[in-house]
Amino acid sequence: MEVDLSHSPARESVAYARLDERERARLRRFVLEGPRRRFTLCRAALRAILCDQLGCENERLAFGASEYGKPFALVGGAPAAISFNVSHSGSHGLIAFAPAGRLGVDIEERTDRRDIDLLGEAVFGPAERAALALTSGHAKTHLFFRLWTIKEALMKAHGAGFRLDASSFETPPAMLRGTRKARFRLPQLPDVAWRLEDLGNERFAAAIAHEVDEA
Amino acid sequence: MASTEDRIRTLVAENLEVDGKPLPEPVDFSRGLTEVGVSSMDVVAFGKVVAQDFNVTLTPEVCANVSTLNDLVKCLDSQVA
Repeated sequence: MEVDLSHSPARESVAYARLDERERARLRRFVLEGPRRRFTLCRAALRAILCDQLGCENERLAFGASEYGKPFALVGGAPAAISFNVSHSGSHGLIAFAPAGRLGVDIEERTDRRDIDLLGEAVFGPAERAALALTSGHAKTHLFFRLWTIKEALMKAHGAGFRLDASSFETPPAMLRGTRKARFRLPQLPDVAWRLEDLGNERFAAAIAHEVDEA
Repeated sequence: MASTEDRIRTLVAENLEVDGKPLPEPVDFSRGLTEVGVSSMDVVAFGKVVAQDFNVTLTPEVCANVSTLNDLVKCLDSQVA
């Protein structure tokens, strides 16, 4: 589900009313208006989705966090049987949800960055860097964001985020060649399969990773 | 010679922004960069800049306990000690 995060006092006011005290305390710690607005609108949209899916009142919904900070839903204080993940870039938010299986999602607006090669050194493996080296200009920017979002979605689904060494695994070869969907296993977690999908368009790169139920 | 904290403060001012604007001064070292709205991509890029400036290698293992800028200062001080 996409979320409009553009400035709108009316929508922000409605969204703020849905937040609980912990979320409002977190909001007060934001020093910049943009991040405050994005958190408010994304969290309220997430609350609406989860309440709808779980059939619960907004007041009964709260959030806990894993040791790495990944949020999970609580209803009446007990963990709820639903997976979700949230990402935003610029004025667009993306929320993924599913009944089960770990989920990760990432969205990035394709902007001109001067540090693509520097970032590539930090997060890409040899095949990914080689693929990037074969491109230039717009194509290079496009591929960089595509690979980044696939990897970040996977790391968010895993739960450790950038505490995982991003350069220790590579985008599946088929996706490196342009396929939009693939199954994948992390070398750090070979027993778990992930379904990866490139959701990007010309303006935004986006990807989702979802744990496959192999039972 | 500038302290690690001063050097990080300078690098933050020179390299980080949110929505095209620099982070408001003074930067709060008790908080993480993503907490104030810096994107994950900019945090990774900042890590590379810091590693180059301090001539250290910041791997995910080395940074495992780094959540705030204060943690980063401690981590760098232990790396260069």
